Amino acid sequence: MPSNRGSSFFASAAGTPITRRGLLKASGAGAAAIGLSSLLAACSTGGGSSSGGKATVRMWTWYTEIKDTLPKVISDFESKHPNIKIENRIFGTPDQYLPALTAAVSGGDVPEIFAPHVRAITYGEQGISADLKKDLGSDFLKGFFKSTNDEYTKGGKQYAVGFEAQTFGIFYDPDLLAKAGVDGEPETWDDLIEAAAKINAIGKSAVSISCNPGTSALDFFLPLITQVTDDPTWYLKLDQLEKGYSYTSKPVVQALELNDKIVKGKVFQPGTTGTSGDQSQQLFYTGGAAMFFAGSWTPSGLITNASPDFVKRYKIMKTPAIKSGARHWTADQAGAGLAVSETSKNKDAALTFLKYLYSEGVYSNLMNASNAMPSTQAAVEQITEPHVKQMAGWLTDGCPHIPFGSGSSAAGDPLQKIFDQTATPAEVAKQMQSAVENARG
Amino acid sequence: MSTSSSTLRAGIRQAPRSGARLWKLQRSERLAGYGFIVPITVLFVLFVGWPIVFAIYLSFTRWSGFGAPNVIGLDNYTRMFSDPVAATAFGNTLLFAIVTTVLQTVIPLIIAVLLSNVWRGLSVVVRTILFIPGIISFVVSGVLWKLIYDPNLGTLNNLLKAIGLGALQQHWLSDPAVVLPSIIVVSLWGAVGMNMLIFFAGIQGVDPTYYEAAQVDGANRLQQFWYVTMPSLRVVTAIVISLNLMNGFKVFDLIYVMTAGGPNHASEVFGTYLYSLAFGSTAGSIPQLGYGSAFSVIVMLLCGVAVLVQIVLSRRASR
Amino acid sequence: MTALLSRAEPASSAVGAKAVRRRRFPVGRSFVAFILLAVAAFTIFPLIWLVLTSIRPANTVFGGSIWPTSVSLDAYAKAWSSTDFGLHFANSLWITLATVLGVVVFASLAGYAFAKLRFPFKNVIYVMLLATLMMPSTSLIIPLYLQLKSFGLLNSQVGLLVLYVSSSAPFSMFLMRAFFETLPDELVQAARIDGAGEFQIFWRIVLPLARPGLATVIIFQFLQTWNEFIYANTVLQNTEELPLQPVLFGLVGQYQTDWPTLCAGLTMSIVPVVLVYVWMQRQFVAGMTLGAVKN
Repeated sequence: MPSNRGSSFFASAAGTPITRRGLLKASGAGAAAIGLSSLLAACSTGGGSSSGGKATVRMWTWYTEIKDTLPKVISDFESKHPNIKIENRIFGTPDQYLPALTAAVSGGDVPEIFAPHVRAITYGEQGISADLKKDLGSDFLKGFFKSTNDEYTKGGKQYAVGFEAQTFGIFYDPDLLAKAGVDGEPETWDDLIEAAAKINAIGKSAVSISCNPGTSALDFFLPLITQVTDDPTWYLKLDQLEKGYSYTSKPVVQALELNDKIVKGKVFQPGTTGTSGDQSQQLFYTGGAAMFFAGSWTPSGLITNASPDFVKRYKIMKTPAIKSGARHWTADQAGAGLAVSETSKNKDAALTFLKYLYSEGVYSNLMNASNAMPSTQAAVEQITEPHVKQMAGWLTDGCPHIPFGSGSSAAGDPLQKIFDQTATPAEVAKQMQSAVENARG
Repeated sequence: MSTSSSTLRAGIRQAPRSGARLWKLQRSERLAGYGFIVPITVLFVLFVGWPIVFAIYLSFTRWSGFGAPNVIGLDNYTRMFSDPVAATAFGNTLLFAIVTTVLQTVIPLIIAVLLSNVWRGLSVVVRTILFIPGIISFVVSGVLWKLIYDPNLGTLNNLLKAIGLGALQQHWLSDPAVVLPSIIVVSLWGAVGMNMLIFFAGIQGVDPTYYEAAQVDGANRLQQFWYVTMPSLRVVTAIVISLNLMNGFKVFDLIYVMTAGGPNHASEVFGTYLYSLAFGSTAGSIPQLGYGSAFSVIVMLLCGVAVLVQIVLSRRASR
Repeated sequence: MTALLSRAEPASSAVGAKAVRRRRFPVGRSFVAFILLAVAAFTIFPLIWLVLTSIRPANTVFGGSIWPTSVSLDAYAKAWSSTDFGLHFANSLWITLATVLGVVVFASLAGYAFAKLRFPFKNVIYVMLLATLMMPSTSLIIPLYLQLKSFGLLNSQVGLLVLYVSSSAPFSMFLMRAFFETLPDELVQAARIDGAGEFQIFWRIVLPLARPGLATVIIFQFLQTWNEFIYANTVLQNTEELPLQPVLFGLVGQYQTDWPTLCAGLTMSIVPVVLVYVWMQRQFVAGMTLGAVKN
């Protein structure tokens, strides 16, 4: 290798204007640039503040059903109220939404209207969400179904309103039931177990259900507690772990035994604890299961995903009762609610929008267009989609199924063992109690 | 450019012995050193270091994201010892990290070796195909594979039935015995590409004359691999091992999307547990940011171990 | 990356080496090729499902046959318009490119300094920077949110950019340092003695040799930033500023997902990354063999 190659190279390099001093300047400039960009960014930040006299109301939810239908409501509102701007943000799932909400709360900048999820009461007690009894008045709240108001109420204050209600029932394919020789709709759980045997005999699963995550399993189980006690307020007290109520109490154990009996009757498809909500729905409309336990969000999902023939022919029946002639207690709380930020300076604008959203005509049109189940009596009477209408008729037999209390949702994990048949009801009851206590911390 | 050893020796012989020029060189080197690291260090302190310190602080408090954090000392850490979910998560985290590290180091290495020894065209095609899963985020992979693993409608069980292996069907994601291995397969699927690429580059960089020399000495193909390829890859392997370990300890998206840590915590790892505690839609109504932060400190300590592993292995390699 | 180590004797030509290898493995090759193809098939099959799903109607996704009977590109049109794909793609593109640029600059500067320069507390600072790799990302969401808030960087793409660069640069620095360490110290020393400034040495001599390292960092960083989702979702409030991934995942509902549209969106979002990879691949492999031949 020629040895003079190196020196000529460096000679040319030395000719450039870059020097050591230049380098130090460069890194200083780099750091300064970052500082400058921060300054620039600070000037342009302004989420939720007023700009040019307009009040901005942010609305954060994960209610994908209204994704296509809400914008029209918003633009109608904005044309009537030119000094209010609505920023609508719809996340895909609660898991995408909750970090953003938690962060916003920790930073003290809560969106004006937000979906409270199961934190409705907790945030309310901490002064994060407003007391809507005070701000909207009891006249306004009167129009809502009692269960949707109760679930958000504690200590005489109500911290959210129901937006989309959910009623649960059993969707079924009449052709498959006929093929299996099942006559009519099973009225009790025993009838259902009988029917399951016939359906299994033709090689199909009887009822498709999702037990993943554990809270979906609770959607099925918790109403059984109401069926056993015939008292829809019993679980509300257990949820808050009030004195005298525990998961080892007799009603819970009885409900677990009933659940166990149903699972032993081979009513559900294999692998429920690994099946998510949309997977269980797929099993139903692809003909793998004759029936499907789910809520009133399902009709709109079936319209999108199932074949048109299937959409025409499926029917819905009430959740079976514990014995003949008993009430068909069925889950019906409003999992999708709306809360208002107590601390935002645009709170009044938010309340104005909320009142508009629930006003006559607006709310029922929105719910109909989204094929969603409303939470007010007035809107229920206006439902057009026949399946949703049918399910709305069951709201009077509604009972709780959402764990709002601290740590309550942890009960769903041991519950999966009933579906897996890996523990007895008595054991699961004990495990539920300790799981909930563990989660409370 | 290249330098011959004679030039180097000549250059060094010209090194200044006198104090002034030497000191000046050292000073300029030092200034350059600090100057070069200023941007990354400033950004680190502001947007990584401080948040980490804050997270560590949170691990000694009870906090739900509003109001002031309530300092409770070591209570979060002692709670871990009586929390059965934490114990399960600990076992699963270790298992996951170690198994994925072994698989995601050995298999890509073997594939890289195989790829070095086939026709170039095939090599490029296969390399690109293998890399594509790594392009997709773990969230997407999780969603895709969840569908494949569906016990009733999923492609995997249907495929097994179709080829007559119906007896091997499993409830891939709901049977506690099978759920972690099922997820490990997905992790491997996504990680082979990048790791294989790193090894492949390393193998390509090995001077072919080494192989010639070895062949002349009578070594067969396997011996050539062991005595020529492997030693050159030691540093790379150390890096790959420690990266896989760290990613294994920190894993979150993949598992959360597929099972959310279920069923009944059978696939719960530290990453999913701390997420559920802080944000989870299934963990109840009060975020437990303090307790969750305590788990992140534990993960950090585990990753520190992984870094040590890499340093030790690298030091051995360069000896 | 490992074997750019000095070897004084000139290497035999690449052609000769290839011939040697060919002579060694005549039969084994077909078998090896078979294994590799099987591995490739296993790898690609979920992705084929992804593309197939994007071209079939929504109600044949499950329960139909594997090959769609009716094909339509409607899902692509829907994905484009309903998610405002163009806007968010542009957001992703600029944020990712800016991040990659920032990371490459800061990481290569710092990686070189840690590899080749001597200064007090070097190792302490290096280990401290590595702490970035050791925290699970979800545990830093709230602390980072609060930190960005105090700098007024919330709800801005620049803030997200700063966050991405800060948290990704250390890993890339770690990679670059490894690359630089394989270069001989004498290279730097000789240049120094010849009077070159430190930055000149870095810029003119060392950096060009680290092309495979740079290519690796670019591919890796592009990928990671392009796919990032949870921080973008949390830091940005204005939906118009969101990059692509959070918007695509808005299509995944809790109870139902519009699969064809989602798959169409995902397929479209994979394209730029594949392009970057293919482009960098050539740099990468070219750099590798170049190094081997020269040594």
